[in-house]
Amino acid sequence: MAATHAHGMKRDLMDIVCCPLDKHDLDLDVEAEEDGEVVSGTLTCTDCGETYPIEDGIPNLLPPDMREETPA
Amino acid sequence: MTGDDLAARRGVETDVYDPAEDSRLLADTACEEVAADDLVLDVGTGSGYVAATVGEETGARVLGADLNPHACRRACDAGVEAVRADLVAPFRTDTFDVVTFNPPYLPADAAAARDDWMEVALTGGETGREVVEAFLDDVERVLAPGGYVLLLVSTLTGVDDVVDYAGERGFSAVALADHSFPFETLTVLKLVR
Repeated sequence: MAATHAHGMKRDLMDIVCCPLDKHDLDLDVEAEEDGEVVSGTLTCTDCGETYPIEDGIPNLLPPDMREETPA
Repeated sequence: MTGDDLAARRGVETDVYDPAEDSRLLADTACEEVAADDLVLDVGTGSGYVAATVGEETGARVLGADLNPHACRRACDAGVEAVRADLVAPFRTDTFDVVTFNPPYLPADAAAARDDWMEVALTGGETGREVVEAFLDDVERVLAPGGYVLLLVSTLTGVDDVVDYAGERGFSAVALADHSFPFETLTVLKLVR
């Protein structure tokens, strides 16, 4: 395994992801950044307004009804 | 192989499926197929082994998606761009040149109900095909023109059933590689439109 270590979400991931519910574009709101990559923040659907958290550099784009109904 | 066998073999670390023969077969096959300028999505990336290997060997950009937050963390720590996702739901139309998937494929009774993340990683419902079928229902949307899927299937899942289902969704299947074990044969299918 290479020594490359992902710090966070690359900004151009915005060209790849969309709202999982209606497939519309997302707006990025950055709370913390490291080396140009997003460590924490939110993604908000430009259409339905649903928000998705970015935590520890990983965007959580699960539909809201799937965020809780998962095993510990 | 059952979930309990895996748990016993791997000790206490059962939050995330560790790379096994199926992961290696998929990674090796993908390394032969993927080009350096491809954009690749590894669905159900788990430890990130397939995504990291393909990225390092081919130079392609490879994203890893997983339902399991522990898997996303592991993949991210392995250098993979990770997204917590339900299959391909949060990815744009016409985006990926290649989508790889080593799905949960054991019929539920074979993996003994565990009600934990390892069961999610192993089982594909009663037939073993529920997750694969949900994936095949939506993956066409995210493939770029000329894009294709590399899907690992097992004789325990029913290779012909998966090929038939993919056919109903507009894919033709070619078997690129297979590997036989005492209880199953693993095959990597290339699905093209």
